[in-house]
Amino acid sequence: MMDDLDLLRDFGRELEHEPPATLARQRDRHLRVRPRRRWTGWWTAGLVAVATALAVAVPAVLVGGRAPAPPSAGGVGAVDVSGALNVLLIGSDTRDGDGNARYGPRMRGAGARSDSIVIVHLPADRGRATAVSVPRDSMVPIPRCGSSPARTDMINSAYDTGGASCLRTALEKLTGLRIAHTVEVDFTGFKSMVDALGGVEVTLPRAVDDRASKLRLPAGKSMLNGEAALGYARLRHYGDGSDVARIKRQAQLLRAMLDKVKTAAADPQRLRAFLGEVRAAVRTDLDLEAMYQLADGLRQTSVTFVTVPYAPHPRDRNRLQWKQPEARRLFDGLR
Amino acid sequence: MITQPAVGGADSELVSASWTQPEAFSALFDRYSAMLYRYVSRRLGPEPAEDLVGETFLVAFSRRKSYDLAYADARPWLFGILTKLISRHHRSEAARYRTLLRAPVDQDVESPADRVAAGVTAQAARGKLAGALAALPAKDRDVLLLIAWGDLTYEEVATALGIPVGTVRSRLNRGRRKVRAALGDTNPMLEEE
Repeated sequence: MMDDLDLLRDFGRELEHEPPATLARQRDRHLRVRPRRRWTGWWTAGLVAVATALAVAVPAVLVGGRAPAPPSAGGVGAVDVSGALNVLLIGSDTRDGDGNARYGPRMRGAGARSDSIVIVHLPADRGRATAVSVPRDSMVPIPRCGSSPARTDMINSAYDTGGASCLRTALEKLTGLRIAHTVEVDFTGFKSMVDALGGVEVTLPRAVDDRASKLRLPAGKSMLNGEAALGYARLRHYGDGSDVARIKRQAQLLRAMLDKVKTAAADPQRLRAFLGEVRAAVRTDLDLEAMYQLADGLRQTSVTFVTVPYAPHPRDRNRLQWKQPEARRLFDGLR
Repeated sequence: MITQPAVGGADSELVSASWTQPEAFSALFDRYSAMLYRYVSRRLGPEPAEDLVGETFLVAFSRRKSYDLAYADARPWLFGILTKLISRHHRSEAARYRTLLRAPVDQDVESPADRVAAGVTAQAARGKLAGALAALPAKDRDVLLLIAWGDLTYEEVATALGIPVGTVRSRLNRGRRKVRAALGDTNPMLEEE
């Protein structure tokens, strides 16, 4: 005898479909896409903001205030910086070179790691720039470059072994974007830019006495020179010690720098000096003329900071992998 | 609906293994993806089924750490997640039943042999069942179908939906009453209890 549930079951069987072979595609989805978790390297995002500001926003604000006389065209090889443009910014943690060794003497000769990697996308109309930070621990396929073989490794190893050009090649392959220029900033470069600004002012809720970064500051307002600003940007053991707090401090520093730049922009003399300092503090394939043009075009540009969507790597908690299709979508949107 | 037998330990063991080895979670997929697929295909058709099954395991994976290991059988948990996901499609689900109300089910779709005897009655009732399902409030439909199509017990449905067993009973009774009312005029045999 059929009751209502039996009839319903029967009806269900009629409606049922067998799973197709393609269902297998869903099997390991959880290994590819995984929930966002707090990642200890988060602070990179803050450094990235600072590096980006230095290399792009700062000259932009500078030029935006009162343009210095554009330096004479660089003759041969003058770079075309019009149209949509992607610039790769590398905040390097090299301990080699003048002055850098003090920030980790034991790491001298250990090569340069890209501490922060940012792709700045400038649309043709320069209305809204997007700074995409790439977590340095991202496990990605890295194409053969120079003497290093093709492999899957952390993205910053491309820089470590092959320098900016290899990192650029790897990123172009990964993102599908053409990266026109690279700008590298290291610890020393950061310092000298702050110094060129005559220091930056920050207000601290309580005193800092940090042995790790050798930074001692009283509570309240302090004027930081390049050295102290770098220490402040890298400070870990302060406040609640969280990465989020650290990012906030870096943002605070960034704002202070931008304020200073705006003031400085009123004085053509200081301005010119600063722009030259920026050029000296970074390693880039952009000459002063190109930087000027780029900065000039960026006067009204606002910068949006995003991070490549990522998830912890399934095989190693301390590594990351890009979240797909989100990452692809992000870069497609920048084309 | 056939449930795959548990091979190689309880579901809960797989879930706890996946806490440290994410790959272990794929075994849970192997165990239940087909079952969940069939269930969704009944409710929403084959088109969204594949993605919904994938999403169910994705959500489950993200919540694996809060899985209560006292439950050896993960089916209620998975069905609970799936039900939540299906609820986003309630409108298209109702629309699907309404379509079935008008059009006969494609007989080319495999029909198990054990169904043939009851087939005649079922076919007569099909349109009415579809109409009743379309008209049911989503919550009652969830309970009714988890029992009729998901083969869950009352207790399992309660676990799946996070509601008391008493609520499962009352929703089921309400749902069945409406289904019976829809069938009522053609099928007097259904008077029972």
